[in-house]
Amino acid sequence: MKIILVIIFVIFIIIILRVFYIQVFDYKKLNNYASNLWSRNLPIKADRGLIYDRNGVVLADNATTTSLVVIPNQIKDKEKTADKLSEILNVSYDDIYKHISKKTSIERVHPEGRRLSYEIADKIRNLKLEGVYLVKESQRIYPYDTYMAHTLGFVGIDNQGLSGIELTYDNYLTGEDGAIKYFSDAKGNKLELNEVYEQPQNGMNITLTINNEIQTSLERELSNAVTKYNPDRAIGLVMDPNSGEILAISARPNFSPANYKNYSIEEINRNLPVWATYEPGSTFKIVTLSAALEENKVDLEKDIFYDKGSIKVENATIHCWKHGGHGKETFMQVVENSCNPGFVALGQRLGVNTLFDYIDKFGFGKKTGVDLNGEASGIIFDRSKVGPVELATTAFGQGVSVTPIQQVTAVSAAINGGTLYKPYIVKSINEPETNTVVKENKPTEIRKVINAETSAKVRNALENVVANGSGRPAYIDGYRVGGKTGTAQKVENGRYLTNNYILSFIGFLPADNPKVVVYVAIDNPKGTIQYGGTTVGPISKAVLKDCIKALNVPKSDGGKEKKYKWPDPKTITVPDVTGKTVEEAKKELIGLNVIVSGEGNTVTHQSPEAKTKLDEGKTIRLFTS
Amino acid sequence: MKKMNLNLFISCIILSLFGLLMVYSSSNIWAEYKFNDPFKYIKNQGLFLIIGIISMYIVSKVNYRKYYKYSNKIFAICFTLIALVLIVGTERNGSKSWFGIGSFGIQPSEFMKLSMIIFTSKYLYNNRKDISNIRKGVIPILLLTIFIFGLIMLQPDFGTGVILVMGVIGLLFVGGVDLKFFFKIGLVGVLGIVGLIMAAPYRLKRILSFLNPWSDPLGSGFQIIQSLYAIGPGGLFGFGLGGSRQKHFYLPEPQTDFIFSIISEELGFMGVIIVSGLFCFIIYSAIKIALKCDDLFGKYLAFGIIFMLSFQAILNLCVVIGLIPVTGVTLPFLSYGGSSLLITLIEMGIILNISRYQK
Repeated sequence: MKIILVIIFVIFIIIILRVFYIQVFDYKKLNNYASNLWSRNLPIKADRGLIYDRNGVVLADNATTTSLVVIPNQIKDKEKTADKLSEILNVSYDDIYKHISKKTSIERVHPEGRRLSYEIADKIRNLKLEGVYLVKESQRIYPYDTYMAHTLGFVGIDNQGLSGIELTYDNYLTGEDGAIKYFSDAKGNKLELNEVYEQPQNGMNITLTINNEIQTSLERELSNAVTKYNPDRAIGLVMDPNSGEILAISARPNFSPANYKNYSIEEINRNLPVWATYEPGSTFKIVTLSAALEENKVDLEKDIFYDKGSIKVENATIHCWKHGGHGKETFMQVVENSCNPGFVALGQRLGVNTLFDYIDKFGFGKKTGVDLNGEASGIIFDRSKVGPVELATTAFGQGVSVTPIQQVTAVSAAINGGTLYKPYIVKSINEPETNTVVKENKPTEIRKVINAETSAKVRNALENVVANGSGRPAYIDGYRVGGKTGTAQKVENGRYLTNNYILSFIGFLPADNPKVVVYVAIDNPKGTIQYGGTTVGPISKAVLKDCIKALNVPKSDGGKEKKYKWPDPKTITVPDVTGKTVEEAKKELIGLNVIVSGEGNTVTHQSPEAKTKLDEGKTIRLFTS
Repeated sequence: MKKMNLNLFISCIILSLFGLLMVYSSSNIWAEYKFNDPFKYIKNQGLFLIIGIISMYIVSKVNYRKYYKYSNKIFAICFTLIALVLIVGTERNGSKSWFGIGSFGIQPSEFMKLSMIIFTSKYLYNNRKDISNIRKGVIPILLLTIFIFGLIMLQPDFGTGVILVMGVIGLLFVGGVDLKFFFKIGLVGVLGIVGLIMAAPYRLKRILSFLNPWSDPLGSGFQIIQSLYAIGPGGLFGFGLGGSRQKHFYLPEPQTDFIFSIISEELGFMGVIIVSGLFCFIIYSAIKIALKCDDLFGKYLAFGIIFMLSFQAILNLCVVIGLIPVTGVTLPFLSYGGSSLLITLIEMGIILNISRYQK
C-alpha cells in the first residue's frame, strides 16, 4: 500500500512538472498558435511609400478612402443587413447577401465595398450594423497623371506595384498592414476582451533624381511635338552628365496610370528611353570624334578633308547627306556639317579595333545598368565580321543599334571630362517616420573613357556644331550650348524604310562646363523636313532653356557667336538706353519695333534689357516716368 | 463512536466547492448558448453537491460493516441497473449509460464501481487463505470483473470500465496476490495490444497521435490541442477567474473531462498546485486510514475506494495534459456530473466512517 502511495505521488509530481513545462517552455509556441485561433483581424491598410522628385515634389501620393469589411458570424439579421447595404452601395441584394453569409471569419466586400466615398461610408457608419466594419484603405494617386508614367508605373486595386518603379521597388514601397485585433469565440462572436490595435507600418518613401521642373518642360515639349508632327513615337531624356542622375525622362505614346486598363500592354510596358533600340545616326559621330581625338588621329583645325559628295569603300559608295558634298573643309567643319565621308575617313584612321574598343568603352552593346526595368542592350557589329564597309558606316552611326539611355550616358562621358557614369533614377529610400536613409544611390564611375583634354576638344567641336553647323536651331543667346543632330533611317525586316526617320538631337550646356544633357528623338514626324536640326533642335532648345531656369545656370561669356546664315534673321544687340530721351533711344534702336509706355520723356526701364540679342523687327518696350 | 478524520472531511468539501466554482466558470458560456441560462450547470451540480455533502456526513455515521453484510444485495441491485440501462437507458454522446429523470441523469455504472469494490473487498476478506492460489482465489473474481467490464463496454463506456478493472486489480495486489501473476496479466495485455495493432496498423497511428496531436489537428488531436491551448497560454498566473478563452466554444464541454484545462487557463500554475495538493492530501489521508485499519475488510474497502479514485484522477489529468490518448474519464470532485460527484462523496463518507474505528 505504501508503494502504491509513493507511485501515486510520483505520478502527481510528473503531472505537475508536465503542466509547468507546458506553461513555461511551450508557452510561447502555444500562445502564438492560440492567439491566432482566438483573434480576428480587422485589417488596416498601410500607406504606400511616396515617390518624390529631387526637390521634394510628390510624384506619387496616397488618398485615404474607406472600405467595407464584414464578419459574417456577427451578423444576426442577414436579410436586413444585406437590404440596407445593397441600397446604400447601389448593388444587388444577392451580391451583398453572398458576402455576408460567406463561411469565413472575415470578408472584404470586394469590389463593391472598396474605396468608398466619404458620404457612403458615413451612411453605413450611421446604420451601426452588427458585424459591419469600415476600415481605412489608401489609394494611389499620381498628381501629375501621365508624367513619366512608364517610369513611375502604377498599382493594382490592392495597391500592389504592377509596373515601373512601383513594381521594382514594391518591397520598399509596400508597408506592413496593421490590424485591430479582437478576440472571438469559436463561433466568431466578438468577446468582451480588450482589442489590440496594431499600427500599420507605412511603406518607405523614394526620392528620385528627377527634377520636376525639367520633367514638366520635357512633357510639355513632347506633347507639343506630338500635336505638331504626329510622330509614331517621341522620346526625351535629360541627364546630369557629371553624375549619371536622370533629371527627366518621358516618351510618347504615354498613358494615364489611373486608367491603365485602357491601354495595351506594349504601350504600358515599353519605357522607350531605355527600351527602344534604333540606329542613332549622326549623334553617334560623337563617339567616333572622341576616339579620333583621344588617339590623336586628327587635328580638327589643321587637318583638311575634301568631300566630293561620296566616298568609295571597297565596292560600296557612301554618299554625304548633302548633294554634291561639302568641298574642301577642315575636320572642324566636317563635324559642324556632320559630313559623312569625313567621318568615314576618321573611322578609317582609327581602324576596326580601336573604334570598336571605344564603342565598347562608351558602353554600347550592353545594358547601362540603370535602375529601371525593361532595359535593352542594343546591337553592335561583331568585330570579326566588320569589314571596311561596316567600319565606314559605324563611324557615322549606321548599322548599329542603340538605346537613348546609352547615347545620353556615352555623350555625358564624352563631355564631362571623360568619365562614364552608371545612370540612375532612385536617389534615396527613406523610412517614413524618421526619414532615416535606408538605401542611397551615389554616382557610380564605370570607367575613364577619354582624358579631360580630349573631352574639352569634343565640347568645343560640339559647341561649334550649334553655333555654326547643323545644330543652329538649338542656339541660345548668352549661353554656351553644344550638341549634335541625328537623322536615322528606320530599319524594318533588315531593310531601310523610305521617308521614315528618327530625328534626334542631343544637346548640353554650358558648353565649357556642362550641367545638363538633353536628348530628344522624334520617330517619323509627319509634315516636316525629315532632318534632325530643324525639327528636334527647337524642341531641345525649349527644354534646355527650362533647364537653365530649373538649375540656375548663370549666363556665360566667351560663347561662340551664332554664324549668320540666310534665312536666319539678323540679330541686334540691344544697347542700354535708360536715362536717354525717347528720341535719342529710338535712333539707337533702329531695326527694332519700339513701343513707348508712360507720359514722360526720359526712359527709366527697357524690356528686354541691354545686351540681349533680338532678331531684326522684334519689339522692344521703353518705359518712361 | 470516535471522531472522524475532520481534515479529510473538510478537504473533500473544499475540493468539491472549488469544483462547483470551476464548473460555473467553464460552463456558463455553453449553458447560456444551449439553455439560455448560464447557471444551468451550476444549479444541477450545486443540488448534487448539497445532497452529496449531506450523504457523505450520513454515510460517515453508518458502520461500514453493514456493507459487508449487504454486499451481495448492493451488487445485485447495481448489476440489474447496468443491465437495465442497456435496454431503457437514454443515449447521450453516443453512450447508453444514463437513466434520464427529468433534466437529471443517473449513471448506474458509477454506482457499480463502488459496488464492485465492496464486493471484491468482501471476497478477498472471505478467501484470504486461498488468495495465493491463482485458480481458486483470483480467477473467479477476475472473471466476474471481466464480465462486468463487458457489460459496461456495451454502453459503451471504456473509461469507467477500465477504472473498475483497475480498482479490482489494485485490491488483488494489496490482497496478497503473487506479483508474478500481475506480470503475466501485463504480458497478456501487451500481447493483446500488439495483436490488435498487427491486425489493423491504423490503430498504432491512432494511439501514437497523442504524442503529436498536430499530426491530425481536426481529428484525434483536436481535443488535446484545444486543451493545450488552454493550459499553455494561461501561463504561470492564468487569465484570472472567468478569463478563459478556450471555454468560448473552442474546448468541447469544458465543464466535464477538460475542466482541469480551464482551471490551468484561468488560475495558472497556482490552480494546478491547489488541485493537485488537495488530491494528494486526500489520497494520503485515505491511505493512512486504510493502513491504520485493523479490520481487513475495512482496510480493503478504504484502499479500494481511494485507489480507484486516484487512478481516475490520474487518468483524467494525463489525458488533459497530453500524456495519454483521450479516454473520456471525468475528474473526481471537480468535473460536472451529478452521479459521479454524489458517489465520490458517498465513497469518502465510507472512508470517513472507517476512520472512526482507528486506534
